[in-house]
Amino acid sequence: MRRSSLVLRIVVIGYVGALLALPLGFVFQQAFSHGWAQLWAALHDHAMDLAIILTAKVAILAVPLNVLFGVGASLWIVRHPSKVSRVLDVVIDVPLALSPIIVGLVLELAYAQNGWFGSAFAAMGLRVMFSYPAIVLASVFVSLPLVSRQVIPLLREIGDHQEQTAATLGAKPTRIFFTITLRSIAWAAAYGVTLTLARVIGEYGAVLIVSGNIALITQTLTLNIGANFESFNSYQGFVGALLLALVSVLVLTVIGVSRHRLERKRHGSFV
Amino acid sequence: MRAHEDPRTYLAKGVAVGYLSLLVLIPMAALLNNAFSHGLGAFWDAATSTESLDAMKLTVTCSLFAAAFNAVAGTATAYVLVRDRFPGRGVLNAIIDLPFALPTVVAGVTFYTLYGPHSPFHVNITGTWVGITVAIMFVTLPFSVRAVQPVLESLTVDAEDAAATLGASSARVFRTVTLPAILPSLLTGTGLAFARALGEYGSVVFISNNLPYRSEVSSSYVYSLVSQGNDPGAAAVALFLLVGALAVLIASNVVARRLALRRG
Repeated sequence: MRRSSLVLRIVVIGYVGALLALPLGFVFQQAFSHGWAQLWAALHDHAMDLAIILTAKVAILAVPLNVLFGVGASLWIVRHPSKVSRVLDVVIDVPLALSPIIVGLVLELAYAQNGWFGSAFAAMGLRVMFSYPAIVLASVFVSLPLVSRQVIPLLREIGDHQEQTAATLGAKPTRIFFTITLRSIAWAAAYGVTLTLARVIGEYGAVLIVSGNIALITQTLTLNIGANFESFNSYQGFVGALLLALVSVLVLTVIGVSRHRLERKRHGSFV
Repeated sequence: MRAHEDPRTYLAKGVAVGYLSLLVLIPMAALLNNAFSHGLGAFWDAATSTESLDAMKLTVTCSLFAAAFNAVAGTATAYVLVRDRFPGRGVLNAIIDLPFALPTVVAGVTFYTLYGPHSPFHVNITGTWVGITVAIMFVTLPFSVRAVQPVLESLTVDAEDAAATLGASSARVFRTVTLPAILPSLLTGTGLAFARALGEYGSVVFISNNLPYRSEVSSSYVYSLVSQGNDPGAAAVALFLLVGALAVLIASNVVARRLALRRG
């Protein structure tokens, strides 16, 4: 082994270790710094528990919505291309270029009481801003393209020979979708769903604006962490951060496995 | 297009368009409407106020530094992941995606505690461009690595080996064989990282201290305008920032495509 490549290896491990692994480890160190008993008590903090429940409620609605939309839009873009679907293909990626703060701002401009839709919804007795629906909207917005970006390239790559064959043999569209299409995109979709879940649970800037950040009512877990930190209760903040760090380790594992499976599938499809 | 499509397909397409309109198109139109609600002059004044320009300068500088540094560090990381074999390589590969998985606010409070006034290393970089740049480097590292990695994987080692056999130093092999092949994707990845950096909020806001004219990034300035209830001002600065990010994305894609075409 050449010395230069050994040096490069050490430099890279050092850089990634200092920039990524150190902060992750530090969250664990801080959360456990006061011992188990303190940690147990901090986990039962009322405001944090309500924030966890709210985050879970948002994820339960936002993730399935975006998975349905992501898979449906991908099928449309790849299998039924038209002028409309080409516009869809571009618009769907817009959230990637937007700052989370801008996402929060545009939703506020459209859905606040004095905004474009807000007045119409208010007339129906619905308040969108500073409540659960607004948080769901913001979460869905920021994670919109994460499923389709994984599914679209795979759908293009595998082609529609199998689907055509099944149709010729008389299979109904729903049956073709569930037995062929869904099965071949399963790992790409799993990858996208995991990224979506991570983004929804972890969103901060957009949710900060649209939720109003009201403790005990519209505070998600990320907002609760920020609020604890700003009120100099950093230990409580790090306990919340510990939970999110644990989720992120789980997310990394699923991402790693599904990417591995996807690569195997890709190499297999060339044979 | 088939002659008669299932009516359920039409319904699904209609729902998709409606979803996208309510979520993205109409709110974006509301942004344009608000930015110009007091006329073009008011838009320009809000977007180019001293505070806005100072925030913009800081944001662009830090984003450029972070994206440029990660273009180099990300290439080195991808190179080691693809060409080197050592125990723990799988873990190194998995942890690259951490910034996609770890919420930005967690990164933000962690960097503040690690490199803030109570730093265990006695390093305080809060309120400086260095602190902001470090936070952005954290967020953008996977963009560079994941852009270069697949190209390196598909690049056969034959050409590199041939050059090495003919006596080229490893630095020269990299410069003349490897680098030209990865350059287009590296450029796209760096452009994406830079665009993302321009709008970064959660990871930056704690370490930056948000002092107007000094350590306030653009997204943070937009947030302060929103909190003051100045929607037209916020919309103007946001539109400026958004157009900048889109321009970077388009430019890097166009240049990358030209480079790839020239290589044939």
